[in-house]
Amino acid sequence: MPRTARNASVGIAVAAALTFGVTACGSSGGGDVAADKKQTLTVWAMGAEGEKLADVAKVYEKANPNITVKVTPVGWDVAHQKLVSAAAAGTLPDVAQMGGSYMGEFAELGVLEPVDTKTFNEKDFFPSGWQQGEVDGQAYGVPWYVDTRVLYYRTDLAEKAGITKAPTDWKEMQDLATAYQKKAGTKWGLSIQPSGLDTVQSFYSFLYSAGGEILNDKGEAVIDSPEAVRALKEYGSYFDKGLSNKSVQPGYDVVKDFGNGRVPMFFGGPWHVTLLNEGQPQIKGKWAVANVPADKSSVSMAGGSSLVISKDSGHKAAATEFIKYLTDTKGQADWYKRTKDLPANTAAWTSGDLAGDANLQVFKKQMDTAKSAPSPAKWTEITDKVDQAIAKVTQGKASAEDALKTAQSEIEGLVK
Amino acid sequence: MRTMTSKAAQPAKVQAGPETSGSPAGGPASRRGGKKSSMGVQNLAGWLFSTPFLVLFLVFMAFPILATLVMSFTDFGLRNVTHPLDANFIGLENYVNLFSDDKFLKSLFNTAYFVVIGVPLTIFLGLVVAVLLNNGIDRARTFFRVGFYAPVVTTIVAVAVVWRFVLDPSDGLIAGLLSEVGLTSPDFLGSETLAMPSLIVMAVWRNLGTVMVLFIAGLQAIPTEVREAARLDGAGMWQEFKGITVPLLRPTLLYATVITTIGYLNVFEEPFVMTQGDPSDSTLTVSLNMYREGFNFFHMGYASAMAYVLFVVIMGITALQLRLLKDNTK
Repeated sequence: MPRTARNASVGIAVAAALTFGVTACGSSGGGDVAADKKQTLTVWAMGAEGEKLADVAKVYEKANPNITVKVTPVGWDVAHQKLVSAAAAGTLPDVAQMGGSYMGEFAELGVLEPVDTKTFNEKDFFPSGWQQGEVDGQAYGVPWYVDTRVLYYRTDLAEKAGITKAPTDWKEMQDLATAYQKKAGTKWGLSIQPSGLDTVQSFYSFLYSAGGEILNDKGEAVIDSPEAVRALKEYGSYFDKGLSNKSVQPGYDVVKDFGNGRVPMFFGGPWHVTLLNEGQPQIKGKWAVANVPADKSSVSMAGGSSLVISKDSGHKAAATEFIKYLTDTKGQADWYKRTKDLPANTAAWTSGDLAGDANLQVFKKQMDTAKSAPSPAKWTEITDKVDQAIAKVTQGKASAEDALKTAQSEIEGLVK
Repeated sequence: MRTMTSKAAQPAKVQAGPETSGSPAGGPASRRGGKKSSMGVQNLAGWLFSTPFLVLFLVFMAFPILATLVMSFTDFGLRNVTHPLDANFIGLENYVNLFSDDKFLKSLFNTAYFVVIGVPLTIFLGLVVAVLLNNGIDRARTFFRVGFYAPVVTTIVAVAVVWRFVLDPSDGLIAGLLSEVGLTSPDFLGSETLAMPSLIVMAVWRNLGTVMVLFIAGLQAIPTEVREAARLDGAGMWQEFKGITVPLLRPTLLYATVITTIGYLNVFEEPFVMTQGDPSDSTLTVSLNMYREGFNFFHMGYASAMAYVLFVVIMGITALQLRLLKDNTK
């Protein structure tokens, strides 16, 4: 019935894209139009970026009258499928925003143009930002904005619990979580995701700080390393001790619970600053951000987006110019003002709001060491195995050793 | 089970059911209306009128269905999205792998669980509500009909928001009611034993309206003379229900059971928006599993094989239902 029809329609879209894809590949690949000729650039950007980029495009058009920039905002929920269908049909836009986790897939599909390293210098960007655009040592994306996770904590409740400084290592963090619950009467101690899709995102700050990783530099699975086991044990202990909620539903929003004091600590991205200021004004001045509490060191995950050029684009020269405009110091500072997205270009941090804001400096410091996930083609599948291992531990079904051993053997099968 | 058009179209058909099967002569009256004209022109006109449908059907249904079948015999993966012809033919490997894949077997079990509990509940409650609305309250009838039908036309996202609030173990509706009497709420969606029943309740609530409308249409098609005759013979409410309503409703019952079963075998939206298959895959259904394999991991060949296994299961169960429920009428 209709529900089947809906499922089928997704299949149809892909199947249709495939059929057309075969023919479209043959027809593309005409000459490239010079940057100063009159032309239209098509650009896809996701979510809030898609909305704001149209304004920037207007400014750009004024300065470059020969270029018309057509921005299409794409929702994050459909972004992946839309990009894959477009890749299959050979109808990718000239320029597209791409999350780090997509990069491997699209490089594998062979639809991305390598970055022109004469125009874009690796040294201008945060290392983790640049690495996100790289697949097997080849850069395909220019970093546009970055994000990382830091620890948000309630200072007023911490004081009530008798603690006045931010936790700097694992022990201090767990002590604080316990004190919050025991002395300040909070429901939980720390909010971390127990299971479900992309649980690995809240596990990264533990894994990386302990010195572990999922794949090593050679692309081999190393998720059963002693460091990773240590990290998962620590992660799981929050659930064992009742400091973290074992059951969190999809779509859970921590901001509200942070505001009402049920959850006094969570790992959040830069966007949470705005969400808290606007959504929970009653706790203004009662919270702060701190760097991820360290084990061996303090290492958080790096996220963000890059800008890529489609291999089939007939406007590569103009596309390069446009990306240059968006990623140079001035463009990045302007972008921060519009979106509060953190600039990937390090020079943009040295002036204005970015240099003066104490909260932002915490992010900057975290960015310097932040680690970006590798992006092999099967990355989604690989992280899914890690998600499952974490879930087994948080739900008390397996020890960290056993869960990670299983994940290790499964991931070995995926990376070969 | 979701689109309006199919629902709007169906009751009329079903309504006709009891009438024709009720009169043993088979109703020659219905065949009289047609005007005579030459067969050739009629055929051509027929083809012309159906061309738009046929083209759409071939392009958007027949071709993808066939393409999926072909794909299910290949190792079609991510790379083949741009190079479809490079996919390797691997025969029945996908199908063989499916039956040693614990995750698939679990999703098959979960789907069966959903159907076995969900279908009888939906049909039974749908019938009860329809009978009550058809007989009992006269004045607020429309209000109640709309009330029961409303969930059917509400988008799943809105439904999810409401049900999350209802089921939330810390400050949800049920938790609030329980705490009034000093009890703590179980964690419905976070518990492996309760997650699936919670989704079933939600699905039953959501699909009740469809079944109810079918039954109301069927009930109204039962001629009042038959009921009156029964009452004159001294039949009580229960006898009337057992002896008249149920037998004459059988075609509707058959239809409702079949479409509900097919809908539930395909269950996707409830686990997709509410649990994503969690906790520990206890709400992972075949459709959701297929979606993940296909669009998260790009195991298109494998997902296609899964689709065909589900298709065969649906065909088999539908055929069985048609046989069983039809035989009873003899």
